[in-house]
Amino acid sequence: MPKCTINGQEVVVKDGATIIEAIHHNNQKIAHYCWHPGLSVAGVCRLCMVEIEGNPRLQIACNTVVSEGMKINNTSEKVKDAAKWGLDFHLINHPLDCPICDQAGECGLQDQYMEFGKYDPEMAERKVKKKKVVDLGPTVVLDTERCILCSRCVRFTDEVSKTNELGIFNRGDRSEIGTFDGKELDNKYSLNTVDICPVGALTSKDFRFRQRVWYLKDAQSICTGCSTGCNVKVYFNKEGLFRVKPVFNEKVNGYWMCDEGRDIYKFVNKNARLLKGKKKKPTGFEEFFPGALAKDISSLVTADPGKVAFVVTGQFTNEEYDQVFSLWTKKWGSKNIFHWLNSPEKQNEFDGLLLRGDRNPNTQGLLKRLKDFGISTQWKDLITKINTHEIDTVVVAGPENPIWFPDFKEKLASLAKAKSLIWMQSSNHPEFENVPAGTYLIPLKSFVEKEGTFTNYSGLDQKFSKVTTIVSEALTLTEACTLLAGENLMIRPDPNVLIAAHPTADRVTLEHRKKNEFVFRRGAL
Amino acid sequence: MFQLSNEGLTKVKKELQRYESKDSAIIPALYVAQKENKGWISPDVIHHLSQVMDIAESKITEVFSFYTMFNKKPVGKYHVQVCCTLSCALNGARELADHLCHELKVRAEEMTEDGRFTISKVECLGSCGTAPMMQVNDRYYENLTPESAMNILRGLK
Repeated sequence: MPKCTINGQEVVVKDGATIIEAIHHNNQKIAHYCWHPGLSVAGVCRLCMVEIEGNPRLQIACNTVVSEGMKINNTSEKVKDAAKWGLDFHLINHPLDCPICDQAGECGLQDQYMEFGKYDPEMAERKVKKKKVVDLGPTVVLDTERCILCSRCVRFTDEVSKTNELGIFNRGDRSEIGTFDGKELDNKYSLNTVDICPVGALTSKDFRFRQRVWYLKDAQSICTGCSTGCNVKVYFNKEGLFRVKPVFNEKVNGYWMCDEGRDIYKFVNKNARLLKGKKKKPTGFEEFFPGALAKDISSLVTADPGKVAFVVTGQFTNEEYDQVFSLWTKKWGSKNIFHWLNSPEKQNEFDGLLLRGDRNPNTQGLLKRLKDFGISTQWKDLITKINTHEIDTVVVAGPENPIWFPDFKEKLASLAKAKSLIWMQSSNHPEFENVPAGTYLIPLKSFVEKEGTFTNYSGLDQKFSKVTTIVSEALTLTEACTLLAGENLMIRPDPNVLIAAHPTADRVTLEHRKKNEFVFRRGAL
Repeated sequence: MFQLSNEGLTKVKKELQRYESKDSAIIPALYVAQKENKGWISPDVIHHLSQVMDIAESKITEVFSFYTMFNKKPVGKYHVQVCCTLSCALNGARELADHLCHELKVRAEEMTEDGRFTISKVECLGSCGTAPMMQVNDRYYENLTPESAMNILRGLK
């Protein structure tokens, strides 16, 4: 465990740690492009120069191992000068098309240039023109001109996804990123290359030109795409969510997340959602205020709770399960709670990196609570009980993303045989058009609109907080079940509305305001 | 589809054993393959090499596209490389190359219509004492004049 001094501050680092890791763990800033904590060291950008006492020349921090008693300085004039010139060389062939570049606002070049830049470039030669808008595959678009050849994406496909699609071809100022013989960059983790690209060379087809990044706010959440439970950042504005990016968590996902997980924002946005409480009549749907509808139909549930079955998916929070199950089991003494497990044969599938076959964020939490409440029911019993009219009413807490429920249509059809069906779900589904008359649909809140805890595949509890509100009338599962039980919702005064003690992202607090100053000053688009 | 001959395959396998890292064998393997594929490397060749060597196609392409000695498009039966670096240039190598192109009615780096010749201007071939010189496939021809060079080319079958 060598001890070193970074800018006058004593730091103890792990054996074999490099200077840049020491600086990174000490939360100090250092200019860098090619170094990424999740990838190997390349040492190609030459930007992370530091001064080491007793060493006449500057060294790159990413490839120099800390030794005992090393005195490191990365704030001296000499270091700043090195970064300044390094940047100027990076910009020799970089087109200054920031106004039309999707990376603007979160671009490494912009950030570093504001800090270290020369502001007065001396290059008089013409820039080398290269290919723009290269279609790399189903998810990524490449702009070879903007690339500064940091090789992060190449190392990612080499080391992490191990698919080796990308390479740096040609040499000198003609060097460019590309794929062999026009092959596609098509792997399950391809969009990570977009995240780690420090410039606008690799951009996501899905997010490209949809929103300027400075008009978006961000907040941390948990990916609901599978039972891994990757830590993510969601980017949103008033209109809804726009993209999802991974957040580092050593225990869960490291630095990465899969491409499928990045699609979770799509079923949270308004156009995919169930917006109103609905009652199916022979002529079509009649719309209601969701809360009022739930209260209205409470007699269906409360009349004879023994004849009511509750079907639940692994898509809800531990808190919701706790409250709803205790309502069911303790108040009504009913154990008619059934676990709808989508594609059980894929439960234990794992692709070796992150993606798991269990496409529910909280199957483990649900299983634990079913056990705790002493519920051990079989799906086939439910079907027999419906057919023998032992069960009249079925209340379903359906999936947030029906795409990952291949048996959705089949389940809906079999449950619709019950006398009355109350289907609670956050997202809309075309199959709802075909439900028999007398079916009720109640919109639920999605994971970004509530707070709670998910338990991932390994039993790790992960708390997440509310991000924003998209469908304001939607209910949480607890609220919906409380209303179905004929009770009133308690509106507790929130002590934090005026105090910035526990700032959540959509609450205007000073810290949040500072961070999103531009958004508040300029408003949305 | 390109396939290495048995002899070529043995050579490539031998090269793979020779270095600490497999990647180091890419250049010798590309040379072997280029020779067997009429003097140039096609995507087919890289695909085949990647299977033989168990190295990703993109990695082989990185090496292949870095060096000018690997030909990216088909070349003639005789690949005429005229050295145009310092001493050759001072002794009229560029004029020599232009003369050859003019006589063969072809532009530099392009193949003649009959597919017999490709003229390229290249960097130093290490025969500065006998400038100007050219390399035809694997053979050096030195102390050239435009006429003698043309005679040599005419003499090739």
